[in-house]
Amino acid sequence: MNKTFLYILYGVLAVIILSVFAFTVFQPIQVLPRMQLAPAFNLTAQTNTPLTSEDLRGGFTLYTITYTNCPAPCYNINEIMQEVQSRLDEVPLGGIPVNFVTISIDPDRDTPEVLNTYAQSIGADTSNWWFATTTNKSLLKTIIGSGFETYYEDKGDGAFAFDPSFVLVDGWGIVRSEYRYVTEVSNADRILRHLGVLAEEVHNSTGSTKLAYEAAHLFLCYAP
Amino acid sequence: MSAQKLHIDSYERGWMIFSAFLLVAFAVAVSVAAFGMGIQVPAPEQRVDPRTVATDPNSPWSNPGLREVAPGKYDAYILARAVPLWEYLPKELTVPAGSSVSFYVTSSDVQHGFKIQDTNANFMVLPGQVSKLTVKFDKPGAYNFICTEYCGSGHGIMYGAIIVTP
Repeated sequence: MNKTFLYILYGVLAVIILSVFAFTVFQPIQVLPRMQLAPAFNLTAQTNTPLTSEDLRGGFTLYTITYTNCPAPCYNINEIMQEVQSRLDEVPLGGIPVNFVTISIDPDRDTPEVLNTYAQSIGADTSNWWFATTTNKSLLKTIIGSGFETYYEDKGDGAFAFDPSFVLVDGWGIVRSEYRYVTEVSNADRILRHLGVLAEEVHNSTGSTKLAYEAAHLFLCYAP
Repeated sequence: MSAQKLHIDSYERGWMIFSAFLLVAFAVAVSVAAFGMGIQVPAPEQRVDPRTVATDPNSPWSNPGLREVAPGKYDAYILARAVPLWEYLPKELTVPAGSSVSFYVTSSDVQHGFKIQDTNANFMVLPGQVSKLTVKFDKPGAYNFICTEYCGSGHGIMYGAIIVTP
């Protein structure tokens, strides 16, 4: 009797341990990491209306930085934003809105009017793409540098040094992915795939499935 | 032959129990460190193309070096290469004491290593992958970093330094 009980106990333990291993090895559910909280901000958009981090809650937001006087050949930031924006219908988002925000690091020259002209000149679809900045420079540096952990620096002669990276934020205002370098799979492809992974988690992570998604976070089952 | 109870010397049994205990203790320690304390293991983040990583203008390693992201917070993009001469780009970084530096290291040719003396930063640098680790430098001084993976005849001259100023 005592022995049977022990065998059952070992069996149950073995099943638990093996299923944890199987979960981490085969990764039936993949998620994006919750990296850190995105910064709260209050910027002015190209429409001369305020754009705050609260306006963008409940949807996914892709952030990047640039300045309109960036001499050609500038980075291919706008091309990537446009490619993701035009291919959004490939992603099963299930009605979750996606917004795009390009923050200008040069508020002296990039007034809302200049940004509006710039958006038109690159043919941007401004229905869900915002070009925003703030004249408070130390706040701008805090939002981008400390908040989004993206580097930029005023070189003093009208030129700026900056990293052409992208930051993907979810509907709760949590940073879920960063795109800092040129990868073998194009950044646009990766961003689109990640939007799909995020949307899947939002739609499926309810009831008992939520526990499975939390397990995927705990065991670092991250989508590549 | 009848079934016989296996005789184990009590001394040997003690060691067997102790080694089983060690296995459990290490598994618990690793789990606590990884999930409870959030200790980062140097991990490849995403694949980059080693053929263009140093030349593509959109790649941060086309202009490697130190960037101050926020006060006291730096990103260091470092390229390790064996061609033409075994070296790190840049060879020397200077940060003030108390800075927290995130290292993004990759290789444009063969496998290298990256170990910063007097810190617990030590990881492999593989072509096509980016190794990331954040180190906080509190004490002023010179912290040498060296290549720890044999990468050719110039392996021994592959080193650099992080100068932490007071």
